[in-house]
Amino acid sequence: MTRSFDRQRLALTAALLVLALLWLAPIAWVVVTSLKPTETIVRVPPEWIPWPATAAHYHEVLLGSSRTARVGRAFLNSLVVATGSVLLVLATSAAAAYPLARMRFPGRDLVFTVVVGSLMIPNAVLLVPQYVLTQQLGWLSTYQGLIVPEAAMLFAFGVFLLRQFFLTMPRELEDAARIDGAGPFQVFTRIIVPLSQPVLAALAIFAFRSAWNDFLWPLIAVNRPEMFPLPVALALLRGAYSADSYGPIMAGAALSALPLLVVFVVANRRIIEGVRLSGLKG
Amino acid sequence: MSGETRTAYAFLAPGLVLFAVYRLYPLLEGLRLSFTNARLGRAAHQWVGLANYARLLEDDRFHVSLWNTAFYTVASTLPILAVPLALALALNRGRLRNLLRSVFFFPFTLSVVTVGLTWLWLLDPVVGPFNYYLRALGIPARSWLADPATAMWAIIGTTVWWVTGYYLVIYLAGLQDIPRDLYEAAALDGASSARAFWAITLPLLRPVLLFVVVTHVIGSFQLFGQVFVLTGGGPGDATRTVVQHLYEAAFQNFFQFGAASAMAWVLFAIIMVFSGLQFRLLRGNPEY
Repeated sequence: MTRSFDRQRLALTAALLVLALLWLAPIAWVVVTSLKPTETIVRVPPEWIPWPATAAHYHEVLLGSSRTARVGRAFLNSLVVATGSVLLVLATSAAAAYPLARMRFPGRDLVFTVVVGSLMIPNAVLLVPQYVLTQQLGWLSTYQGLIVPEAAMLFAFGVFLLRQFFLTMPRELEDAARIDGAGPFQVFTRIIVPLSQPVLAALAIFAFRSAWNDFLWPLIAVNRPEMFPLPVALALLRGAYSADSYGPIMAGAALSALPLLVVFVVANRRIIEGVRLSGLKG
Repeated sequence: MSGETRTAYAFLAPGLVLFAVYRLYPLLEGLRLSFTNARLGRAAHQWVGLANYARLLEDDRFHVSLWNTAFYTVASTLPILAVPLALALALNRGRLRNLLRSVFFFPFTLSVVTVGLTWLWLLDPVVGPFNYYLRALGIPARSWLADPATAMWAIIGTTVWWVTGYYLVIYLAGLQDIPRDLYEAAALDGASSARAFWAITLPLLRPVLLFVVVTHVIGSFQLFGQVFVLTGGGPGDATRTVVQHLYEAAFQNFFQFGAASAMAWVLFAIIMVFSGLQFRLLRGNPEY
């Protein structure tokens, strides 16, 4: 009986491993393609070992001809936008979550309900009025025109997540600091923030992923090519190369995956934790 | 105003300004615009009552888009519920749990454009590897994205590959929260593992299932990126979606902000109705 049970387990594990390999195959294919010289890319049957390998597509996409010169720049744009969005959402949602978790004041429940309720608003519904507003502010094709709406979108989730975490923190340290004469601002910056590093990191990664990958809003809000973030630049790269070769497109795709791959390898547990928390409460 | 109230609102102020200006105001402004004939560059626009909504009743392409979006949402819900759940059940407690969880999660870190470009290449009708391996299995090659019968399914498949890891993590967390002694007690009573799944796992996962369905439905009704990259809404209008229709009305053709806002609010209403129905269906505290 145990024997057949073991065998079942083994078969299940083997099946899962095969499935996992298949799951990664598309990504492997992107990387393989990006490393092949153009002549060998479209060979049938598919060749999975890119030998001899070439960095030409990366070179072209990052530094090369006029039609792709934008990808290198787009990478920097995306870094600026994602970093800015992360900082803005961390600062605003941590500051807002603190009084919602720790102070008594009129309007507290209303504020919390409205903010968390806004999580149900589909972003597509806000597209047109956000565009009109951004245009009126003169923010089209600017970094702030991408950073501020992104942070505003993530704010509600940040407040929800951080308030939840602050509620579970013991109050003793704060009380001790207050007896020592610390004001609310010192308590927040010296005690609350340092003790919340894990959850702040989870929120930062969540926000970075969201800002790095956002597509629809920048597609609308940016019309100067040198200000395109990566997803928009990549989508247009497709048009530039459609008849030619998948090489440069796949090099761009691989580059776009790189920062989150690094974060993913370094901080795997934080990411999983952040996602798990995002599903908290249903 | 007491001191604590003042302090509290001082902390809240930056976030609330951000939130009010870029979330609340656009929500209401969009509703207002939907009753006007606003266009890009038209400074003075007039109140037109329900004209934008009335025109939507006659907009055949809007109906097609709505139908496609609804089809996508309904057809993708079952795989989005079942595939990650099956994986979670298989991975839960297994030795390779954490490693495989990371593997399946990885596509979710990619942008919709990267995902779209990846599958565009994989599904290439002539030289793409997908058709090659299908042919090797004896299945005839097809232009998956150029055939109206399969294009939407290709988009669904792509999306399942993209988001499965996200829901897998959520399911695994949900499974961890189910007390183990329930299964031990069931086993002592002679319940099969299938029976335990229907009697224990599924009911206790109900809040998680609700989260997954609602999240997925809200996202599905806004389907845009996959379609933009993979099919452009084609062939014909076979994969045209509401958000694509809205995007084109507002930013491509005539910059009809009023008409596009009306579409946005119809979409919003539909999403609210669907979410409400799901809350009704799946809500309720499971009993231990």
